[in-house]
Amino acid sequence: MKKKLVVLFLAICMTLSMAACGSKDGGSADGSGSGDNILRTAASFAYPSLDVHKEYYGWYTSIYGLSEALFKFDENAVAVDCLAEDAVADGTTWTITLKDGVCFSNGDPLTPDMVIKNIQRLAKVNERFAYMGDFDWKADGDNKIVVNTGKDVYPMLKNDLASPECGMIDLDATTDFDKDPICTGPFVITEFNPEGDVTVARNDKYWGGDVKLDGAVFYYMQEDDPKLMAMQSGEIDCYNSVSSGALEVYEKDPDKYHVESVAGTRLQYYILNENRLDDAVREAINLTVDKEAIADYLKGTVSAANSPYPDSTAYSKVSIPAVDTEKAKKLLEEDGYTLNSEGIYEKDGQPLKVNIAYYAARSLDTLAVLMQEQLKAVGIDSYLTVEEDPDSTYIATADFDIALYCMISDKCGDPQYFIDSTLADGAYYNVGGFESAECEEMIQQLRTEVDPDKRADLANKIIQIAIDDNAFGYVGLFNHTTVMKPGVSGFAEKIPFDFYGIDANTVK
Amino acid sequence: MKKKKAKLRKRVIIAVVFAAILVLIATFSGVLAPNDPYATNSELIRQAPSAAYLFGTDNLGRCVFSRVLIGARTTIASTFFLVAVSFLIGIVVGMLCGFYGGIVDDILMRIADLMLAFPQMVVAIAVAGILGGGLGGAMIALGITMWTSFARLARSHTLSIKNEPYITAARLQGKSGLQIMMTHIMPNILEPVLINALTQIGTTMIGISGLSFLGLGVVAPQAEWGSMISEARAYIQIAPWAVLFPAAATVITIVVFNYLGDAVMEYRNAE
Amino acid sequence: MKKQIAKRIAELIVILIVLSFLTFLLMYLAPGDPAEKRLSSQGVAVTKEVLQAEQERMGLLRPFMVRYGEWFGGILHGDWGVSFKDDMPVAPKLAAGLKNTTILALASLIISLIVSVPLGIASAVKKNSILDHIVRLLSFIGNALPNFLISVLLMYFLCIQLNLFPVVASGSVQGLCLPALSLAIPMAGRFTRQIRTETMEQLEQEYVTGLRTRGVREKDILIHNVFHNASGHIFTIVALQIGTLMGGSVVIETIFRWPGIGKLVMDSINARDYPTIMGFVLIMGTIYVVINFISDVLYHVLDPRV
Repeated sequence: MKKKLVVLFLAICMTLSMAACGSKDGGSADGSGSGDNILRTAASFAYPSLDVHKEYYGWYTSIYGLSEALFKFDENAVAVDCLAEDAVADGTTWTITLKDGVCFSNGDPLTPDMVIKNIQRLAKVNERFAYMGDFDWKADGDNKIVVNTGKDVYPMLKNDLASPECGMIDLDATTDFDKDPICTGPFVITEFNPEGDVTVARNDKYWGGDVKLDGAVFYYMQEDDPKLMAMQSGEIDCYNSVSSGALEVYEKDPDKYHVESVAGTRLQYYILNENRLDDAVREAINLTVDKEAIADYLKGTVSAANSPYPDSTAYSKVSIPAVDTEKAKKLLEEDGYTLNSEGIYEKDGQPLKVNIAYYAARSLDTLAVLMQEQLKAVGIDSYLTVEEDPDSTYIATADFDIALYCMISDKCGDPQYFIDSTLADGAYYNVGGFESAECEEMIQQLRTEVDPDKRADLANKIIQIAIDDNAFGYVGLFNHTTVMKPGVSGFAEKIPFDFYGIDANTVK
Repeated sequence: MKKKKAKLRKRVIIAVVFAAILVLIATFSGVLAPNDPYATNSELIRQAPSAAYLFGTDNLGRCVFSRVLIGARTTIASTFFLVAVSFLIGIVVGMLCGFYGGIVDDILMRIADLMLAFPQMVVAIAVAGILGGGLGGAMIALGITMWTSFARLARSHTLSIKNEPYITAARLQGKSGLQIMMTHIMPNILEPVLINALTQIGTTMIGISGLSFLGLGVVAPQAEWGSMISEARAYIQIAPWAVLFPAAATVITIVVFNYLGDAVMEYRNAE
Repeated sequence: MKKQIAKRIAELIVILIVLSFLTFLLMYLAPGDPAEKRLSSQGVAVTKEVLQAEQERMGLLRPFMVRYGEWFGGILHGDWGVSFKDDMPVAPKLAAGLKNTTILALASLIISLIVSVPLGIASAVKKNSILDHIVRLLSFIGNALPNFLISVLLMYFLCIQLNLFPVVASGSVQGLCLPALSLAIPMAGRFTRQIRTETMEQLEQEYVTGLRTRGVREKDILIHNVFHNASGHIFTIVALQIGTLMGGSVVIETIFRWPGIGKLVMDSINARDYPTIMGFVLIMGTIYVVINFISDVLYHVLDPRV
């Protein structure tokens, strides 16, 4: 009797607490909903605003299919036409030609003046694009914009304009930039929860023709488990950045799940500290670290990197010596190291023990453990140091022998950004003591070279110098992996960048 | 009555034996582990339990059984240390507050409030940043809030006995505050606080694991149950053993120490 | 009583000032820069020029005391500041997080008390009975389960295997059930044990024997005397738990997409978003002081011996 009472009481209370909460929100999910033409998916990030120009919000307005930039990237990371037909450079002058008939979701046309106002706003509100405000922008006729980049040639303008932050907003008609920006994309916002779920519907006035989906819902899910389970229960139709654990589940059931994977642009690499490790040790380390083996452990989520950039690009043509542990040992022995009784090399009674600094994200912890094992096998001892924030610790102080790091190596289909960040003199991430006059000279050339083939050639030479100097080790590139229910396609599953999602051709 | 006491004694002995076994396993885990707990093997990734690998292998092909054994040392030792230190600080502060009351009580209890309100993560990240990462930072971060629960409990029990006749008698005999606290109050409040300490073992283990999970606890590749669970969690559907065995180890350890607490308490109550 | 309250309020103010200063100092000493975190939040590398311009804009290059003073001045005027993460006002963020966490905390507390009070008392009364053994076993296990393990298991079995709940259900009726259960299970285990201990202690007091010999019904003794007397300790235990619950559970809130304050503060710490963290610390400091005050008062009211 008592027990029954307890159970009853419990049931009543749970009902009450549910009812109390239920009034808050009418229930955003009703389970499957597979009958409609609305795509349901998961987003790993959620921002408090839809203001395309600020922060990285533009990445998500682009994913949601709300905003578009003048250009967009294709599968080979090449900037191709979108709102603009083309951009042609002649010295310090760029001429951008807009497409005919582009209009915002309210029907207003996109004019050259509006583009210029957008760029000026972007330069003002986003520090990363402030340099665009230094250029001189002029409208020419009703579909051309002439940009003068000042005294220096600026070869990357077209690629930069393809960044999602350069999405176009109807600045005259938009009243709430945070919640309801009026853009040109195939979808318009219907419900926006700051840092929460986002619902979009078809833009009936889309300039680019018919939009296939009726709408889409983006559930904010940070963790991998809920995404996997929501996919299994059929509550979502697709998502990207699939974890390796989830990937294995999907691969067991190819009839139910369709997986697409392309090499992405997020690079795992390590910096070898030239001020602490001599040439022989650095070369030995690079000959020892087996990136294929590491990629095997990280099944499917990472591809072994042959250069910092995806293999499909023209600027990834460098040669990296193959793993050769015998040669590594020989190098150390020639350098005066001898194996001690514990199987570790030592010189002048000092065992060779290096410090590997890492932070626990992006599988760098796994990488650290595996590198430690591989190094130990040839006789290089090591200890690991973990930091919560790498930038203000080991990157700032250069207090490491080997530093692991993960960053986007290509944000706009061009090699210069990564070279500027890691190899140029005084670059924020050039902290391992890498220095080369020849390299610096080529970097200067790269900054003003306009021809894409010559740029790729220069980049290849620059990266090759860094490789030959054993200044770095490029380990793996994260794959851009998308899982979809059968029938779903057009979820940017073949594009190596993270900032695309649904578009007019997405189908369910 | 005697029979009952004998039965209770038996229970205490059983609990102590179990706890001792765990501690022994932790101490001699290096000898007991059948495989190298740190050796990775790309051909043995996520193998199901077998004769060679009793608990299967993890994401890097390491022997889960060996890692659970080695992890026992890390987890149990750091938990004991942390609980013991917090217990000592807490019981002293709690007795002082309860016994003297007034301004001492006010100041110490407000400091306790202060510490309790401190977000653990802020402390953990700051300590990790200042002293370098590792278990030390995680333990300080947990310890800062943990002693306060002991202090509050010790205080409330001290308050409830401080006006008992035997304390008043001791006072009248001219015993000093310190003496009274050590000889009369401490033995009487020890039980509930000690039981709290035993129940805190579980919370502490989970706390240490939680911080390890966020990269603020143990440094890789050190084995620790919590971080093992966190590492393998993503694979729970394909390799449940890598999660369930360390989880079972955690749960069993906590159950054993909680049982010990219970048994000891009942035995003493029967006296 | 009025004097007591006035004294506590004065203490609260001192605590909050010390707390906010220490937090500000710790965040300042901790490595990591809000501008840098913000610029590289998607993994794009920063450049020195852009970083410096952003730091300048956010006012991070000014001395420590000036920044703390500015924040403090703002608080005195009721201005909680804007987030370093996205320039949005901090106060509404904290309010939303706090509201959601309160809902979750109350739901889980109610569930666990409903389970643990009757079970704890019953198992103390029927000591060493089968019921007692079962209850103790369950409470042992419940208490020993890490909450993220519970949440993953609950989600896996209830959502995937049994299809009772949708996985995607934040903010809805079903959305509350699983996170509240995940929090309630270990808590119920803990409460049951503590309530059992306290009840047993009370039952062995002499007054119980006295009441029994006077022929008072066992039920009345339990309700009017034993539970009444034990409730002081029980309240202390629960009150301590409320503080912890109000801090929010990062793991639970993240797994179940519950937009509570725990997740908010964790994200803020990762972004080195000082104003949000400071606001959180003020709220938590106030909550702890108030809860402790109430529990002290109730303790005096409920425990006749003090």
